[in-house]
Amino acid sequence: MPFGLSVRDNFGLSRNYYDRFAHGAFGFFLAYPIRELLLRFSGINRAWSFWLPTAIILATSGLFEIIESIVAEIVAPGQGVKWLGGQGDEWDAQNDMLSAMVGALLMTGIVSLRERKDISR
Amino acid sequence: MIDKYFLHIVVACYLAFWIALAIRPLDRGDWLLENVLIFATAAVLISTYWRFRLSNLSYALILMFLVFHTISAHYTYAKVPIGFWVKDWLHLERNHYDRAIHFSFGFLLLYPMRELLIRSARAYRNWATWLAVAALCALSSFFEIIEAVVAQIVAPDLGIAYLGTQGRHLECAKGHGAAFVGAVIVATCLSFYPHLKTK
Repeated sequence: MPFGLSVRDNFGLSRNYYDRFAHGAFGFFLAYPIRELLLRFSGINRAWSFWLPTAIILATSGLFEIIESIVAEIVAPGQGVKWLGGQGDEWDAQNDMLSAMVGALLMTGIVSLRERKDISR
Repeated sequence: MIDKYFLHIVVACYLAFWIALAIRPLDRGDWLLENVLIFATAAVLISTYWRFRLSNLSYALILMFLVFHTISAHYTYAKVPIGFWVKDWLHLERNHYDRAIHFSFGFLLLYPMRELLIRSARAYRNWATWLAVAALCALSSFFEIIEAVVAQIVAPDLGIAYLGTQGRHLECAKGHGAAFVGAVIVATCLSFYPHLKTK
């Protein structure tokens, strides 16, 4: 991803951070639709609707990481992170999950602030 | 009668067990670290007991998980004797106790989590069952993230070795997968018996 490369060169980073950004976006943009889905179909109340979307985002990114490492083990046994494009980060999987979680929490925070405003109006 | 004193008996048994295993653990530092989880769980359960009481079954399952955790706090994960017996018996290459604990995390805690979601979040039963799977997966990802963040701050050079994952990179993913499988098994059973009583 060229954009990530130019950011890396401009800020003197050690790796292309575009993948982290994409994981963050996954959490950020999907938290809202998931929350809407849960509120309309699962019967949960408002208080829990702020935490469960984040939980689902975390759970799915965890599952992705599991599948990823199983595939990596099959395709390139013993290579692990290298093959996955971890770019030398041993904690690549965990950091990816962390960015998805931060993205989801960010969206949840925005939504809760927004709704508070709507109620007080 | 038994219902009324069930919790007293179970908690008393657990306390006795905990004290017995608090005597001369293999590694006092590790024991303390592992016990943070036990103290935190106890604090949450005790403080919510009067406002929001789970069913006896849920408390029993949670305590069961804590029993396994207490054992690993005494011996440290990689050195639990049962794990070694199984290892010799089935000719495995490593002590699989940590895997079993991850599995039991999903397996034992699904029911309490589902009860919480049904009664506190007011989720519909079949949604609650699978939302509980997601919640447990999320918790296990969350612990993994915390571990990773702590390890990166405390010892950036040591990397994976710090967590005593017995030297393989796939460990994290496998442990995580074990929790998921445990949760899914119970969830599947519960969806075949959807009316299993939840107070």
